[in-house]
Amino acid sequence: MNRDLKLIKKDRLRYTKNKLSSTLAILAIVFDCLYFVSIYSSDVGNYFYNYIIGASVVYNLLFLLCTFLSSEGVKSYKLNYATLLIGVGVMQIVRIFYIPLKAHSELVKVGTENIPAMANGQFTYVVICLCLSAAACIASGAIGIYKSVTLKRYQESLKA
Amino acid sequence: MASLSLSNLNKIYDNNVQAVFDFNLDVKDGELIVLVGPSGCGKSTTLRMVAGLEDITSGQLIIDGKDVTQMPAKDRDIAMVFQNYALYAHMTVYENMAFSLTLRKEDPNVIHEKVLAAAEILGLTDQLNKKPRQLSGGQRQRVAMGRAIVRKPKVFLFDEPLSNLDAKLRGATRREILLLHKRLGATMLYVTHDQTEALTLADRIVCMSMGYVQQIGTPLELYDTPANVFVASFIGLPPMNMFDGVVEGGQITCQGFAYPLSESERELLREHEGKAVILGVRPENVVPDDEGYLEMDVTLNENLGQNTLVHGNVGGHRTTAKVRDWCSYRKGDRVRFSFNRVHFFDKETTNAIR
Repeated sequence: MNRDLKLIKKDRLRYTKNKLSSTLAILAIVFDCLYFVSIYSSDVGNYFYNYIIGASVVYNLLFLLCTFLSSEGVKSYKLNYATLLIGVGVMQIVRIFYIPLKAHSELVKVGTENIPAMANGQFTYVVICLCLSAAACIASGAIGIYKSVTLKRYQESLKA
Repeated sequence: MASLSLSNLNKIYDNNVQAVFDFNLDVKDGELIVLVGPSGCGKSTTLRMVAGLEDITSGQLIIDGKDVTQMPAKDRDIAMVFQNYALYAHMTVYENMAFSLTLRKEDPNVIHEKVLAAAEILGLTDQLNKKPRQLSGGQRQRVAMGRAIVRKPKVFLFDEPLSNLDAKLRGATRREILLLHKRLGATMLYVTHDQTEALTLADRIVCMSMGYVQQIGTPLELYDTPANVFVASFIGLPPMNMFDGVVEGGQITCQGFAYPLSESERELLREHEGKAVILGVRPENVVPDDEGYLEMDVTLNENLGQNTLVHGNVGGHRTTAKVRDWCSYRKGDRVRFSFNRVHFFDKETTNAIR
């Protein structure tokens, strides 16, 4: 890429929004929604009716709020929102080891049978949802940081 | 840029109202044509037919040698600037200007360069990140023009673009449009009902009334040699004074005074001896003269600084004189004037006698 084209790309950042990061953050919200709809519609004995689910609901609300605000923040190259998105993305990975993994490895007595609280199919589905949500968050944050830093440096060079 | 040819254009609406009659015009490459006339004269309809926003009932429209009469608006490569700006409120100035190019899927880097170049021309570089609501009316209109410029269209169309602006801003934006035209060398069609805009902007003016073209010519031609009574009274501010009279015995006898004809004027009006004519006199051609043949009963004295408008009655005609002095006439004063230049019109046809 020649030098002029690089310069034009940097200059464009001054007038265009970071739509890619913003769209990825919204995508992360969509995958998270698919995840929690699947979890909250599960009805295997009384397994899911405990305080962990309560905490999960609260966390989901926080996730939705943070990610949505961040999607607007990264759109206008706010570095802190991009960082927050990476943090939220990491948390999505961590979540796999709580409800999905525990539910998958635990047996619940339904009638006379002991069955896994989360079947293989559902487990695979929710893990994919969380992974995609995490990937979207982290990618959004990383792109956001890169573009924000690039823009900041470019603006400083213009001032100098 | 391109040339434009409108041949025998007619517009008849579904309710059988004919808005434009047999419109003919050839616009040269890089020419700025102003369509001027009162409301409802068909000028905007003509412009919309060129833009493709109105169907052409009959006739032919050729842009750059290509017949586009039946071509959809989007394919005509024409940009139009509207009176109400038509900007997207949720987009920034940059996004508004880039929008049409984005729709064409042009390279974002190319779009960026085009937008910056247009912004530079229009002095909008510092406003690119603002939303339209944060701009003044004049700036918004410049954004609308910028949106047209970036497309590099064959023809620019302006539909009363200054009508929403206050007087001061209108003057400034008018000068900007003129500079823009000189800079781009673009072919432009400009619609207005403001004759000042028409006279200052146009390479040629098309004066319209009731759907008919009354006269096509340079601003000076329309001002100096109007084709008929309508053009004479429409172009010029204050409007031309019109006196009904009869040619008889080397003079024109009007109500309240008689205008003595010179030798050349007698020759000109030889065939109208004994017939009714209209004597047209621009206010600046009505000059104070102690021995003048016209006595005005002053009703109003308007001092404009560098000159004075003296309004009054002459034999029942409302008459205006534009005097190049500071005058202090009072209502009821009787002042004598004469004419230093006149126009003659046939009373029957209203056409100029030349």
